[in-house]
Amino acid sequence: MRASGNMTAPRRRPIFVLSALNEFDYEATLAACAAGEHAAMQGLYEREGARLLGVVQRIVRDRALAEDIVHDACVNIWTRAASFDPTRGSARGWIYSVTRNLALNAMRDGSREVGVDEDTAAALDARASVDAWHDMADAFAWQASAGRIEHCLQQLEPVRRNCILHAYVDGFSHGEIARQLDAPLGTVKAWIKRSLAALRECMA
Amino acid sequence: MNTEPQAGMPPDIHELAGEYVLGTLTAEQRRAVELRLATEADLQAAVLAWGERLLPLASLAEPVVPSPRLWKRIARSIDALAVPARRVIQPKPWWRDWRSLGLWRGLTAGGFATAVILAAVLVERTMDPPPATRFMVVLVAPDDKAPGWVVQASASRQIELIPLGVMEVPADKALQFWTKAEGWSGPVSLGLVTPGQSMKVPVDKLPAVKPNQLFELTLEPRTGSPTGKPTGPIRYIGRAVQVIM
Repeated sequence: MRASGNMTAPRRRPIFVLSALNEFDYEATLAACAAGEHAAMQGLYEREGARLLGVVQRIVRDRALAEDIVHDACVNIWTRAASFDPTRGSARGWIYSVTRNLALNAMRDGSREVGVDEDTAAALDARASVDAWHDMADAFAWQASAGRIEHCLQQLEPVRRNCILHAYVDGFSHGEIARQLDAPLGTVKAWIKRSLAALRECMA
Repeated sequence: MNTEPQAGMPPDIHELAGEYVLGTLTAEQRRAVELRLATEADLQAAVLAWGERLLPLASLAEPVVPSPRLWKRIARSIDALAVPARRVIQPKPWWRDWRSLGLWRGLTAGGFATAVILAAVLVERTMDPPPATRFMVVLVAPDDKAPGWVVQASASRQIELIPLGVMEVPADKALQFWTKAEGWSGPVSLGLVTPGQSMKVPVDKLPAVKPNQLFELTLEPRTGSPTGKPTGPIRYIGRAVQVIM
């Protein structure tokens, strides 16, 4: 749908919440949203919209549904901005949590989830050996991820790293990871548990 | 269940929180965590900590440039909430808020998706404990966009249709409730509706409600549509918006 007449220049409002360091101030943006400033929401969308859509699209794997979810996420962020508590976490983290939770809920509630039943899992477990996974290659260019987690991911065996990344980035369920890696379900579950424990310890 | 603790050990909330944030829990497990999050501060803290730990991994997903329509749609939705709704809500019974003119003013101009949020925020703010409502829909008249019904789809796989007023239905006609998600071949009947009365519909046989899923009420013969599909005019229509917590 296109408006007639005024298609000349893209309307561009200034990104209006900049801190002294010229970094986007997510916390101030949420405070402005809570105060009812539309420009704050637009600034946030211009800053993060494509990244949020990327995160959601990767999880839901459907462009139209991904845009629906980003719409809902932005409306949730707008209406719930006042409930964000900066003493308990980062504003950017909160924004991504709201968005990822909507995407994950939509996928887990949807029909995509095909559970591997326990019998199948047991059969798979019986014929598999963890040794076979030692040479697995990385499925993600995870070194691009900044911060502490890069160092801690490095400490995991590639196959366990892949489990974590397929779950977080691709939104895969245990069963989907097991199929993706052609690994036993029970083993995948154990890998993820142990990897989470190792990451938490490493990042403490 | 795979999350059972070792004998004698309490369930590890860090492990549970980690799998919640990672996304590997099933729908039921996610709902159980969300219910506990409402009251358990240590689980909340564990979930927040995992959110922060894993956030850098979000950058591994390639950005996708949204269609120009998306911002327009978001702007329309938040425009109708000139002031975020939770700030204007008075502590009075939610149903009275729903019927207040001021609350609904502006919704008619803003389209119906936005109305959903107001209703959702109202419900979220005023019921205690918070219900596990996952989707809200405001059904509006297609011509003047006047809201007539609210639909809540809860985690209990039940859809509740709540009237915002009484509407006239000719004696030889009935209102029939339908829904259709993207990809379905046609609308599915959720039953006949009595004007002015709320109705609960179990939907265990249907797939879970999805964002943007269509809901509508059509005017049909008194015993319902003879074809199993809508045959009469749409009286109220709206789309589902997902709401968390």
